[in-house]
Amino acid sequence: MTGPLYLADAFSQGTSLWIAVGIGFLFGFVLERAGFGDARNLTDIFYFRDMRVLRVMFTALSTAMVGLVVLSWVGLFDYSVLLEYSLLKTYLWPQLVGGVLFGLGFVIGGYCPGTSAVGAVSGKLDAVIFLVGMIIGIWVFAAGFSIWGAFSTSSALGRLTLWQLFGTNKEVMAALIVVMALAAFALARLGEKWAPYGK
Amino acid sequence: MSKRDYAEGFWNPYVAGVALGLVLLLTFYLMGTGLGASGAVVRTSAVLAHAAVPGAVEQNDYYKSFYKPGAKNPLINWMVFQVAGVFLGGLVAVVTARRFRPGVGRGPTASVGLRLALALIGGVVAGVGTRFGMGCTSGQALSGGATMVVGSWVFMMAVFATAFLAAYFVRREWS
Repeated sequence: MTGPLYLADAFSQGTSLWIAVGIGFLFGFVLERAGFGDARNLTDIFYFRDMRVLRVMFTALSTAMVGLVVLSWVGLFDYSVLLEYSLLKTYLWPQLVGGVLFGLGFVIGGYCPGTSAVGAVSGKLDAVIFLVGMIIGIWVFAAGFSIWGAFSTSSALGRLTLWQLFGTNKEVMAALIVVMALAAFALARLGEKWAPYGK
Repeated sequence: MSKRDYAEGFWNPYVAGVALGLVLLLTFYLMGTGLGASGAVVRTSAVLAHAAVPGAVEQNDYYKSFYKPGAKNPLINWMVFQVAGVFLGGLVAVVTARRFRPGVGRGPTASVGLRLALALIGGVVAGVGTRFGMGCTSGQALSGGATMVVGSWVFMMAVFATAFLAAYFVRREWS
């Protein structure tokens, strides 16, 4: 059947919630097996001790990206549904600011939201504290929404992809990103040899 | 390599990456959207705040859409159920690998107090960041990245550039 199945009404919302638990289970399982339940494995990338995060992230991103392109070629996935209904929307400046804040929080706190869940069930107290911090942070954001709410939805560019921005197609863009990922893997090895903070 | 024993016993990162990518691909095939995490934290924060100060949350411009008349419980949501699954899957993975160890992950010279204080501060800053970024490493970097969304790539590059630069200032936490 041609995906995305849910947007073609292949199953009910109630069923989708069970699927959510199943998908989340696989997600959490793989994150743990990748080593992402420990803040040290997540932050070692920033000290060039272990570029595991880069390898896992870029491999996963490339796998899913190429997978979607191939599925759409063979008629198993309708990419236009994605572009019209479900692709994330771009808000340029707030997302840049959000990325800077998130990057700070990531290296200071040692986790990101998904990995802190895996850290918590691994017995890591720092992961639990990070989760508590995130809830407080979102309260702060909500409390000050009258101040920065307008900014947070500004520079709205709608559903915009890189290939549309660069005037090419998804196949060429995906190939470029895969080449970039391979280059990043090579650089990661050099980074680990460099190890400016020591091994 | 006993110095970094916490990094041992896991899957090869490329194998883990392919596995994670296939989970993400399956999610897109089934749902038309990707994975996520911070959305569930938002809804949890709404429910907790609502339990304490219901009036203020119902009036709050950010939270009020969760509590408009006729709205379902904010926790009856795809992302919340998916994150419940993450806890479950992570737990099964930890237990089956015999890796459950209560403790605090920190650098060899960092104290527990310092690490926990910074975990809280980092959590607060990252929490705010997810709201401006409209997602996190799962929803934006991974899922938006795989669908080549411009804002997701901007977010991802900003996250990693900032973290690499800021790492210098918290090196005592991790080294």
